[in-house]
Amino acid sequence: MLDEYASLLSYRLKWAYLLGIILVLMVPVFFNFYVSFNEYGFGAANYKFTLDWYFVVFDDSQLKAAFGWTMFLAAITVVLSVPAGVLTAKLFKHSERKVLIVSLMLLPLFVPSDIFASALLVFFKNLNQGFELLSNMLGNDWFYGWFELGLMTAVIGLVIYTLPYVFIVTLITMGRFHDEQTEAARDCGATGWQAFWDIEFPQIRPGIFSAASFVVILTFNEYTRTSMLKGGFDTFTTVLVSEMLNTGMSEQSYAMGGIVSFVAILVIGTIIIGTLIRSERLEKVARAKNTPGM
Amino acid sequence: MSNNNTRTETVGFKGGRNIPASPTFISRILGENGLQKWIFYLPVAFMFLFFVIPTMLTVVWSFFERTMFWMKPGFTFFSYINFFTSSRFDNFLSSIFHSSISVFICLILGFPIAVFVRRNVPQVAQHRVILLFILPFMVSEIIRTFMLRPVLGRNGLVNSVLLQIGIISDPITVILFSPLGVIIGDVLSFMPFIVFAGFLAMEAVPKYVFEVCQDLGAGKWRTMIDIIIPLAAPGIFAGSVFIFVNALGVALIPSILGGPGAVNAGLIATQAIAALDFPLAMAISAIMMVTLFGLLYVGHRLFNLTRILEPTA
Repeated sequence: MLDEYASLLSYRLKWAYLLGIILVLMVPVFFNFYVSFNEYGFGAANYKFTLDWYFVVFDDSQLKAAFGWTMFLAAITVVLSVPAGVLTAKLFKHSERKVLIVSLMLLPLFVPSDIFASALLVFFKNLNQGFELLSNMLGNDWFYGWFELGLMTAVIGLVIYTLPYVFIVTLITMGRFHDEQTEAARDCGATGWQAFWDIEFPQIRPGIFSAASFVVILTFNEYTRTSMLKGGFDTFTTVLVSEMLNTGMSEQSYAMGGIVSFVAILVIGTIIIGTLIRSERLEKVARAKNTPGM
Repeated sequence: MSNNNTRTETVGFKGGRNIPASPTFISRILGENGLQKWIFYLPVAFMFLFFVIPTMLTVVWSFFERTMFWMKPGFTFFSYINFFTSSRFDNFLSSIFHSSISVFICLILGFPIAVFVRRNVPQVAQHRVILLFILPFMVSEIIRTFMLRPVLGRNGLVNSVLLQIGIISDPITVILFSPLGVIIGDVLSFMPFIVFAGFLAMEAVPKYVFEVCQDLGAGKWRTMIDIIIPLAAPGIFAGSVFIFVNALGVALIPSILGGPGAVNAGLIATQAIAALDFPLAMAISAIMMVTLFGLLYVGHRLFNLTRILEPTA
């Protein structure tokens, strides 16, 4: 909306500034792709396009195992975080203690990853000691190792990290849904689950799929919480960071970085394009409804 | 969650009238007002158990005594004395200074974007434009931070471009492995947040406010300082606190871009854990948590932060 007082040049300059900022934010990512496709690596005088460094990554059995663990973690986190986020968003809509719920859900976003991962690490070690003590008192080993660092502790850390994002996205999506529809379904005899699954879910499905995609990316990208809470296995980013810190930036590191960025761009790009197409379609429907004679 | 206290379940249809089902003990327990209702509280209970309790316990653990490999219950200020009387505290203060600069730069660069989108972009396209900032935000922070090394380094992209254009004759070395490198890393990592928070806050500023300001002859600066910033204060504050606390607490950026000696609170905490000094790590975590919650409390009292989630369009 170009207001009547603003000049066209100023308006265009502001757009150029906005796009320039996005470009600057993306420069490290684009440069990573550029270097990863160079056969001679970073800083070489010559440039020759190749995909060989990516093949090297995919031939590395350790990296393939780490990739598998990462996807496994992401899948478990999606299965836990998404329903939890939807439940909390529904609780929020009907609760009178909105400030309490929103504070509980959003505060993890503000706590720095290293600080919270340290606290959770010490918490798990204490829990483990407490459970071992309980086992000893009961004279059996039922409670041994419940909170040993491993898959479960890593998943707990990741669910706490991703749940706020699912909550926000679902809440925004649910904001467009009218509760009268589920109330009408309930009055017609539908159970609470039927009203949700048959009436509400189809309308909030895009938001829930977006939230699930965010969870996959956040889990895929996450390093600090995973590395502190994972125990014995490796994920893609923990291998990447240890390689970068121990051996410096090798050509293989650039290719690994390229893969991580490509996954994120692919998923987010799909969401953005999907959102644009969907909102375009909704606008067309709205315009058609408002057109006289329709 | 719907209130169905008045709803009557039926088990059959006889003689043209519904036969009400008498709720059994099992159905009362498993029904919508029984266990099903409590399912909605499970995530809240989970967050309470694994977020609130560990967060609060950091304060308790910070007073424990250090042992060889762990810690034991006690009440000592040793970790705090250790922190405040060592060079760690000087590093902490300098990281507060650098984080404040990062917040200021993010505000200067990012908030005008939120204002521009709200003021000049058509209503239907506003969310789409803001969505563009999700892309850099969602690409791994590790990649974005690590890749700043070859971008900012002596033989990196920035120096190569500037040398080729002829703006500089020698490579700039102060932009990597220095406090400036850390600030650049913070700004590039966290700036999208000020755009998101600023835009959310700007949604609460009615569009006619801009027109009224223009009609009354207020200049751009006057409108920004006297009208826009006070109205968008909750978003500006929330975004600033997020950037400040993360610049202070995310260890990755100073460890990759800061060079030797560059630390922040997060790096001190992780170094303490690596040295098996858990009470010290918890003392630093406790200081960070108290700082964060104190800032959010003050911000909420001053600006009512929940306003961010209540756009008036």
